[in-house]
Amino acid sequence: MKTEGDYPWDRSGEPDPEVQQLEEILGTLRYQPRALEIPAGIQVGRERKFFSGSASRLAIAAAIAALFLGLGLFFGLQRLERGQPPEIVKAGNAPKPSPTVSSPDEKSNSPLAVSEPQPKPQLTDGPRHQRVSQTLVARNSRRIRNAALREQQLALEQKRAEAAKDQLMLALRVVSEKFGYAQKKAQELNQKDQVHNQHKIG
Amino acid sequence: MKSLAKTPLKLAALIVFVVLGVNVTASAQNPRISTAQLDGLASKATETVDLNLDESMMQLAARAFSGEDPDEIKIKDLVNHLKGIYVKSFEFETAGQYSDSDLESVRSQLRNSAWKKIFSASSKKEGGVEVYLMQIGAEITGLALLASDPKEITVVNIVGPVDLQKLSELEGHFGVPILDIDLANPKRKNQDRQE
Repeated sequence: MKTEGDYPWDRSGEPDPEVQQLEEILGTLRYQPRALEIPAGIQVGRERKFFSGSASRLAIAAAIAALFLGLGLFFGLQRLERGQPPEIVKAGNAPKPSPTVSSPDEKSNSPLAVSEPQPKPQLTDGPRHQRVSQTLVARNSRRIRNAALREQQLALEQKRAEAAKDQLMLALRVVSEKFGYAQKKAQELNQKDQVHNQHKIG
Repeated sequence: MKSLAKTPLKLAALIVFVVLGVNVTASAQNPRISTAQLDGLASKATETVDLNLDESMMQLAARAFSGEDPDEIKIKDLVNHLKGIYVKSFEFETAGQYSDSDLESVRSQLRNSAWKKIFSASSKKEGGVEVYLMQIGAEITGLALLASDPKEITVVNIVGPVDLQKLSELEGHFGVPILDIDLANPKRKNQDRQE
């Protein structure tokens, strides 16, 4: 096979018969542009869409609900860990007082400030102790508040009972006074009857 | 045809009479008397006492009584069974501030078979007093007292089983004077007084 000339590269010069033979053999396999023909046996299906129709809306709603549940659980657990009763601080955007708050102003603003006993320093060595002591403080404060409320209710009821007793005593005094008047009148009538009878006998 | 048209009317009239009769009987058996018609006298009175102690108030008051003081125990025992004590009293500066019709409006409620007048006395100078009892069998279920003098009018209504024996036990305590009520037979005593 001759390799002189540029025929193999740009078909210039003298052609080599072997190259020409090879060209003829391989030329049958040359690319020939033609339209795509899909065989009739193959069925083209619809593309599967996961987020289509009502399923997508349901999936979005479920995701949002799961997100809210997760957030609620997270914040709830945090509050529990900090020993803060849920009814004191509103959930969500309300600021959560830090367990290490020591400013007197902040304490005075807190609803627990009046009756909340101060945690002992030796109990707040580590975060675990802090959490436990805060929980105990919250429980104690709740117990104290409930006891105070109960005492207030009892005092109020006692006051009402005393007022009712005063009214009852006043009513009994009026009743007794008027019965006394009736008794006096009855005695007078009796005396008159006796005098009348004596005159009759006489 | 005419009688057919009249039948429903007769039936309706009968129903109305029955309903009215039941209502009248029920109200006649109620020992609570109305004194609201006397409220207008409050504006003329110099002193007004208006006490409405219903059953719940009586129970509340009973809680305030000591469980150790024998006098208070007696009062507590007395009021425990009562359903109400209602007192309305007006005291005036001068005589003639109220009329007989005011008293009559209360007295008319006591003028039925359920109430029995056990005592009454009256004089032009000093006024009068009337005591009524409502009884079901041997049990007293209500008591009413009307007292009046030229410058004062008082209506007392006790609802519930008034135990005159227990009431008499209060005599001399808490300003309750000693009464001379024949507890065994108040009706006979009444008859004696009226004679």
